[in-house]
Amino acid sequence: MIERYNRRQRALVITLVIICVLLVTVYSREDKEGFLHRLQRFSMDVVSPLQKGMSKVLSPVKEGIEFLVDLGRARGERDRLREELKDLEERVHELEEMRRENETLKQMVAVKEANPELDYLVVEVIGANPDAWEQTVQIGAGYSDGLREYMAVLSEDGSLVGRIILCTSETSVVQLITDEKSAVGAKLQRNGEMGVLKGDGGGKTHLELLNQDADVQTGDVVITSGMGGTCPAGIPIGVVTEIGEMQADLSIGVFIQPRASMTRLEKVLVVVNPLPATLPMAAEGRN
Amino acid sequence: MFAAHRRLLLLTVITLTLLVQLTVAPELSVGSVRPDILLVATVCWALFHGPGRGTVFGFFGGLVEDIFSTAVLGVGAFGKTIIGYFAGELKHRVVSRSVAWPMCIVFVATVLHELLKFATWTMVGLEERPPFSFGIIAGMALYNALLTLVVYPILARVAASEEKAMLFQ
Repeated sequence: MIERYNRRQRALVITLVIICVLLVTVYSREDKEGFLHRLQRFSMDVVSPLQKGMSKVLSPVKEGIEFLVDLGRARGERDRLREELKDLEERVHELEEMRRENETLKQMVAVKEANPELDYLVVEVIGANPDAWEQTVQIGAGYSDGLREYMAVLSEDGSLVGRIILCTSETSVVQLITDEKSAVGAKLQRNGEMGVLKGDGGGKTHLELLNQDADVQTGDVVITSGMGGTCPAGIPIGVVTEIGEMQADLSIGVFIQPRASMTRLEKVLVVVNPLPATLPMAAEGRN
Repeated sequence: MFAAHRRLLLLTVITLTLLVQLTVAPELSVGSVRPDILLVATVCWALFHGPGRGTVFGFFGGLVEDIFSTAVLGVGAFGKTIIGYFAGELKHRVVSRSVAWPMCIVFVATVLHELLKFATWTMVGLEERPPFSFGIIAGMALYNALLTLVVYPILARVAASEEKAMLFQ
C-alpha cells in the first residue's frame, strides 16, 4: 500500500517536472508574441494595480526597513570616520611636532650665526632630577660625544641654562643656573657692572654685584662676563625684575628672571669649543 | 467532498501567498535580496503534508509565480516542484517541533532553488540572465529562513484546522 503510494508520488513529481521542462522549452522557443509570453503580459497587467496599491500601503514599512539598513550602514560609516579622525589627529600632532622642531632648529641656527666663534652640540634633554632640592637636568650625550664637565649649556634661543657638572660616557648632568649651588660670572649689559649670578633654588636667580653702589635698574639685561673660565662672555642670562633693600652685609638683592624657560627644555646647545678654562681634575685625567 | 475541500484550501493558500509575493515581497527587499515567500510556503506546506502535496503546491505555486512575472515560464515551477517533493520527504524524518528545523531546511532549500534556477537558465541558453552572486543567494537564504518564523506558524494553524475538519468528517 505504502509502496504504491510512494510510486504514485514519484510518478507525480516526474510528470510535473516533465511539464515544467516542456513549458521552459516552449517558452524559450516561442517569439515575444507567443501564447505564453502574451499570458505573462496579461497577468502582469492584471496584477499591477494591486502591486501599486500595496506599494502605497507598505511604504512606511519599507521606509522602516530602509531606515534600519541605513542605520547599520551609518554605524559602519561612523566607525570609519572615527578611524579617519584618529589618523588625521595623529597626523596633525606629527605636523605640529615637526613645526616646533623646525622652529627650534631655526632658533639654533640663529644662535650659531650670532656667535660664529663658538661651536655647539645639539643635545636632547632626556630627564630631570627627581630631587626637588637639585635643579638639574639630564642630557643625552656624554664623554663619547665630546662633552666635558663645566661646559656651558644654552637653551634653543641661545640663553644660558647652566653648565655640565657630571659626565658619563653617554649622558651628562646639567646644573641649572637656578640651582642653589650654581654661581656664574655675570654683568649688566648696559654698563658692564660685574657680579656673580647665584640660584635661589626656586626657579629664580639673583645677582650679587661687586660694586655696592652700581647703577642697576629693573629691565637691565644680564649677560655672562666670561670670568671664571667656564662660560664664554656675552651669553644672555635674563633681565632684572626686582631690586631689593640693602642688606646688613651691604649687598643689595638684584633679582633676575632667567630668559630660558627651565621647565620646558627639550633640546639644548652645549658649547663644545672653546673648551672651559677651568676643568675639574677628573675630567682632565680622562682627557 | 474532502478532496474538493483540500483543493480549495490549496488554491486559497497559493493565491494568498502569490498575492503577498507579488505585492509585499518587493517592498521588503533589502538591496538586491528579495524574499521568496512562495518558496518558504512550499517548504513549510511540504513539511506538514508530505511529498505529494508538497510537490503539487510547489508546482502550482511556481507556475503562477512564473505567469505573473517576466521570468522564463516553467523555471520557478521546476525548482519549486523538486524542492516541494524533497522537503515533503523530510516530513517524517524531522521529529522536533522546534521552528529551527524548518528554518534550516528553508535556508538550504533556497540555496538549492537558486542553483537550480541558474542551472536551468544555463541549459536553455538564456542570454540575459542575472550575474551569479553567491552573496545574494546567501542573503536570500537567510531572509527566507527568518520569514519561516512567520510563515511556519500560520501554515501550522491551517494544517491543524484541516486535520480537525478531517476528523469531524
